[in-house]
Amino acid sequence: MTDAMGIFDIMLALVLPWLGWRLLASPNLFRAVVLFISLGLLMSLAWVRLHAPDVALAEAAIGAGLTGALFLSALRRLERLRDSERRLDYAEKREEEQNLPPEKRRKSKPVAYVLALFLLSVFLLLLGGALLKTPVAPGRLGPAVAGQMGQSGVQSRVTAVLLNFRGYDTLLEVMVLFLAALGVWSLTRVRQTPQEKVPGPVLATLVRLLVPLMITVAGYLVWIGSSRAGGAFQGGAVLAAAGVLLLLANVTVVRQIPSTLLRWALVLGPLLFLLSAVACMSIGGNLLEYPRQSAGSWILLIESATAVSIGVTLAALYAGGRPHEPAAREAIVDKSADTKVKNGEGA
Amino acid sequence: MNWLYSTAALCLLSAIVAGLLRILRGPTAADSMLAAQLFGTCGVAILLLLSKGLDWLVLQDIALVFALLAALAAVAFALRTWGGTER
Repeated sequence: MTDAMGIFDIMLALVLPWLGWRLLASPNLFRAVVLFISLGLLMSLAWVRLHAPDVALAEAAIGAGLTGALFLSALRRLERLRDSERRLDYAEKREEEQNLPPEKRRKSKPVAYVLALFLLSVFLLLLGGALLKTPVAPGRLGPAVAGQMGQSGVQSRVTAVLLNFRGYDTLLEVMVLFLAALGVWSLTRVRQTPQEKVPGPVLATLVRLLVPLMITVAGYLVWIGSSRAGGAFQGGAVLAAAGVLLLLANVTVVRQIPSTLLRWALVLGPLLFLLSAVACMSIGGNLLEYPRQSAGSWILLIESATAVSIGVTLAALYAGGRPHEPAAREAIVDKSADTKVKNGEGA
Repeated sequence: MNWLYSTAALCLLSAIVAGLLRILRGPTAADSMLAAQLFGTCGVAILLLLSKGLDWLVLQDIALVFALLAALAAVAFALRTWGGTER
């Protein structure tokens, strides 16, 4: 009976905007984070109902899992900062401003609003202009993709588009992620703290059970991506979840990974992607035009390397800084994002 | 799709919506977080029901990812929000 599913869809469509509004309007940050995790779960269900299992997988891993852990850790750090430095800075700044002559003070609120409105309308105009200029595709793209599936080397249409037909876009996306990790690494180091207490029995067991399972599932998702929903990004996200769990539990193994290894893991995907793009040209095709017979193997190779790099990238973004040099081995390094904040550092 | 599966999925979604009230009301942080964990469990159940009802195997993979990553938020909460105060 489809009536029940109709009600299901209507309910989902009503709850999602309401949830989004409550989350944005919530004055309590912790509640907003919990609402955000719920929003991720419901969004994932909505993507399933829209027949987009690939997006649902990514949303389940990123929206509901990783971002939730990231926000909870960030919230903790904010709370620690709130009582000391942040208020101090703000009070000092206000005092400073009041001592300035009137023409040097910050712009009053109405001026700032008008300026923001002006910039926003310019942006919207440019966006509208770009939309008007974009050529409209002559036909529907679905049948066009379906017609070319035979030469893509994979069975999943999404993977065929992402890694073969529009591989260039994916290459750039992988580079963007790489740049994001580089940006975070150039900003700060993870803070050093001495060994804290060992994780309790519950946490230790959970880590021991979940981490191997997560790594297996990540490999499975990459593998299954060639025939149905899954792929490098989803697999990488699950791999990152394993990394975040290890960082949270603060296990010794993570602290002993040499930073050279991490750097190579970070570079592996983008580098291999770029090299295979160039290799395709040297064989005689265009950029990223794989040889027909072995297209499937090329895609799997690129996806596996990219998944490892995406996993390390996302976990590095969670850790929030570059690892310490291997030389500093005797000083035990802690990479979890919320350890004791020294004055001024990480503000 | 079998009516039994779709009705059960609808009931589970209603449970999620009812759980939203617990998130908004609280009263403690743990109440909110446990409601979010309930959503994870309900989400897994809904996905498995839909997978069976629509005969769509991919949904089982999504349910697997749901189940694996729901634990992550719970661990982050237990370490960073709830139990981490004495450190």
